[in-house]
Amino acid sequence: MKVPLGKFRYSLALLFVLLASNFLVAQTIRDNHAGPGEKMAPNGDGSAAAVADNGAAPTGPAVVTGNGINYNGGPVMHGNPVPVYIIWYGTWTNTTGSNSAATVALIDAFLAANSLGGSGYERINTTYGDATGNVTGNLQLSSQIFDTGSQGTRLRNSRISAAISSALTTGKLPTDPNGVYLFLTSSNVTESGFCSQFCGFHTHQTLNGADIKWAFVGNTDQCPSGCEIQSTGPNSPATGVGGADGMINVITHETEETITDPDLNAWFDSAGQEDADKCNFKFGPTQTGTNGARFNQTFGGHSWMIQMEWENSRGGGCDQTLGGPFFTN
Amino acid sequence: MLVRCFVFIVSIAFAALVAAPAQEPIQPKLTPRIITATRQVTIFMGLERQILQAVQKKDQASLKAMLDEDFTIEIPNADPLAGEDWIASVMAKDYSLKSFTIRQMSAVDEGNFVLVNFDRVQESTLNGKSDGGEFFVVDLWKKSGDSWKLANRFVSKLSSQPSIPKAPIKPTGKQ
Repeated sequence: MKVPLGKFRYSLALLFVLLASNFLVAQTIRDNHAGPGEKMAPNGDGSAAAVADNGAAPTGPAVVTGNGINYNGGPVMHGNPVPVYIIWYGTWTNTTGSNSAATVALIDAFLAANSLGGSGYERINTTYGDATGNVTGNLQLSSQIFDTGSQGTRLRNSRISAAISSALTTGKLPTDPNGVYLFLTSSNVTESGFCSQFCGFHTHQTLNGADIKWAFVGNTDQCPSGCEIQSTGPNSPATGVGGADGMINVITHETEETITDPDLNAWFDSAGQEDADKCNFKFGPTQTGTNGARFNQTFGGHSWMIQMEWENSRGGGCDQTLGGPFFTN
Repeated sequence: MLVRCFVFIVSIAFAALVAAPAQEPIQPKLTPRIITATRQVTIFMGLERQILQAVQKKDQASLKAMLDEDFTIEIPNADPLAGEDWIASVMAKDYSLKSFTIRQMSAVDEGNFVLVNFDRVQESTLNGKSDGGEFFVVDLWKKSGDSWKLANRFVSKLSSQPSIPKAPIKPTGKQ
């Protein structure tokens, strides 16, 4: 039977156009909200976008949700401890200022056994997990190398990747997909966006055939007002030389986030913020040291001024130690 | 005088920034990475959101309180827009800011001034017609006692079609 389309042709065309317009309108941007079947994912620049929700949901006893931060299905790092590798890039041999051996020694002490790793502070990270288990709250410096400037003093991502890749392919550092690589630069080295957009960042990338998790942290003495909470820190060798303490604060941020969101698909909230982002530059109650600098943690034989971390339990909040009181600033 | 000089420099910088993309054959890609925002980015991200929320809620008092008394907006191919006129236009019943996203913010601290730039994607209507899009904004904030006032804004529309921010792409290592 032939359907008499003639009279309806234009009506059908009009209906098609209306429906198509409807679909297009439904795809316009919304203010940071995911629609049905979507979830928010970080763009990497502090904003977030709605993306299709692949249905990732808690799949094991290790995943606890409902505390202001969401699990998005990806893995966390389970190492006990998670090994940390450092590439000291630039000049770290000065005898004054913060581009010095004293900074290297302090950061090494911070990441040594029985210091940050296993502390009540780092154990906040044990509230995050995936289907196979929780984060251990333990991390430890495994090995480090010095690169005095193989990629020059004006860096960008590709040059950092090249420097890390070189360290791996030449065997100066092991190729370890279960480790965290810290790329720390002295204050005579610039990186696009450092100090104006960010104090550090973390990412992951296939290098030397493995999924390498790495983070950039610059010497914060390059921009104390942007990346330091105080210009003289609790471990400053002199007044106004707060680079080592400033870097340590950013290192806590980046290592926490790398461990709980190594592939950028595990733990972040509806605005795309990871656990440490939610407490960025929030320190909680502090004490004042003998040099007049404030501090909020003591472990490993030193006092430290490090930001709080988001605890994924008890409703969620920023605290200084696992199970401690939550603070808003 | 100092303020005028600074505004002049910012105007030149903004013109250069707007012109730059047309002169650059390569646009750097957005790297998939999660940043630790600087203190200034954290602070001014909050202030910029407050301004947009005041526009959304038609909260004229809050909006006015955040602006310097000499606040102006400069737009390519248009006369400078005085603060009072801008407030009146965004408070008008026929204008509606439905949603917004701020991204890729940078903030340069110059002591009593902070120069902020960012991408703003918004969905809005004027007289019932779509007025949204993607904008590149440069804001000059001036210290005022313990708070900050928005002194000057330079805006360039990048696109009338809001581009939905893309989710991070898993790096392949080949980039």
